[in-house]
Amino acid sequence: MDGLLGTTQQALQLLLTGNPELWAIVGISFSVSLKAILFTTPVALVLAFLLANVDFPGNRLLLSVFNSLLSVPTVVVGLLLYMLFSRQGPLGDWKLLFTQTAMVIAQMVLCFPILVALSHSAMQAADRRAWETARTLGAPPWQAMLTVLYEVRFGLIAAILTGFGRIISEVGASMMVGGNILGYTRNITTAIALETSKGEFAQGVALGLVLLLLAFLLNFLLGYFQGKGKMRS
Amino acid sequence: MSAPLIAFRKLDKRYGSQPVLQDVALSLHLGQCILLAGENGSGKTTLLKILAGLEAPSHAEVEYNGTTRPWKTAVRAYQPEVIYLHQTPYLFNGTVASNVAYGLRFTDLSRAQQRDALARALAWANLTEQANRPAHTLSGGVRQRVAFTRAWVLSPKILLLDEPIANMDETSRQQTCELLDRMKSEGMSIVITSHDAQPFATLADVRFQLENHQLHPCEPPSPAGESV
Repeated sequence: MDGLLGTTQQALQLLLTGNPELWAIVGISFSVSLKAILFTTPVALVLAFLLANVDFPGNRLLLSVFNSLLSVPTVVVGLLLYMLFSRQGPLGDWKLLFTQTAMVIAQMVLCFPILVALSHSAMQAADRRAWETARTLGAPPWQAMLTVLYEVRFGLIAAILTGFGRIISEVGASMMVGGNILGYTRNITTAIALETSKGEFAQGVALGLVLLLLAFLLNFLLGYFQGKGKMRS
Repeated sequence: MSAPLIAFRKLDKRYGSQPVLQDVALSLHLGQCILLAGENGSGKTTLLKILAGLEAPSHAEVEYNGTTRPWKTAVRAYQPEVIYLHQTPYLFNGTVASNVAYGLRFTDLSRAQQRDALARALAWANLTEQANRPAHTLSGGVRQRVAFTRAWVLSPKILLLDEPIANMDETSRQQTCELLDRMKSEGMSIVITSHDAQPFATLADVRFQLENHQLHPCEPPSPAGESV
């Protein structure tokens, strides 16, 4: 190793010269995580809306479950899904293990509780009069729901960004159900883990820089949208 | 007397074992204005929300279009004709125009007709010049005016107003009462809850007092002096 400075130089070179292998890994990461957040968000928002606005039996229990799942270790999710998708597992016939689909499912499981819990918090802050006003002005229930979601959109965007930040930076579940196959299921975090174990730090640092940059960007956006939400309220 | 536009009978509302409204009966005729008075917590807002279909009663029968049905089945028929306005109106994020136009998108009007209706409504309430102002920058009186216009543009048969002039200065009160006068003269039926009967003395045809969970008819408010 040429020292930290040399490795960082190599990493930047890899990034700036458009190393195809490296950018393919970045592409897989974004593709998997964006699909996961895209598929999860609508269901999570509807569930959060129901939890915030409809008093049904088990409402509080369900919310407690989602709050507890916020900090579930990613390897535990990976392990459970591995057992489900492995040949001997109940879903073994679906042949999902070591596919991007399995990674998407794992990340959906990880971000679902985050989206539900944080969206629920945002919706609880919504004014009850928004729903009543929409309904009395003729909006059907689903349109009234969309109106309320729009009213608290900054809180919801913050929830989605937090969920995205969680899944794009997780390593345990992706490693276990994805298998770290180059060009197919190797994403940023699993690649960093592998390259570091091989002593190839340059690619690891380059990918780490991409993740760091993303983390800064997400934090900036998070701050921006949370600030917007406070200004409106 | 002609048949009422809508009549609520045997209306009960309980929160757990706590009664809020008991055996309430209320009939509303076309173009009539009813004033509901009562102390804080007497159930005025709950009653209005039940009438608006925003809250379910424990039991109620509704006569509408000549048919008497339980509230649960009647509400779908009459709810589109009723608009409820909160004591402090809620304006959606957006401009004055987008707020006034909100309900139009759920009507059968074409885009062009919606634009015409919006322009007419803004002119009706002298809001044309403020059409593009963000709603959250408006004063209390103007917010109320926007909320009224947002209701007026949909031409509801029945307007339910919860304390429409509470916490308003004299000028805003007068403007609000003028708008209500115009709405009534256009044939809208109006139910108002208010602590202060005096500002509605000329507007209200019938006055009730909500006391001990029941509605009691009162004398109409006199045009001068007295308040409830």
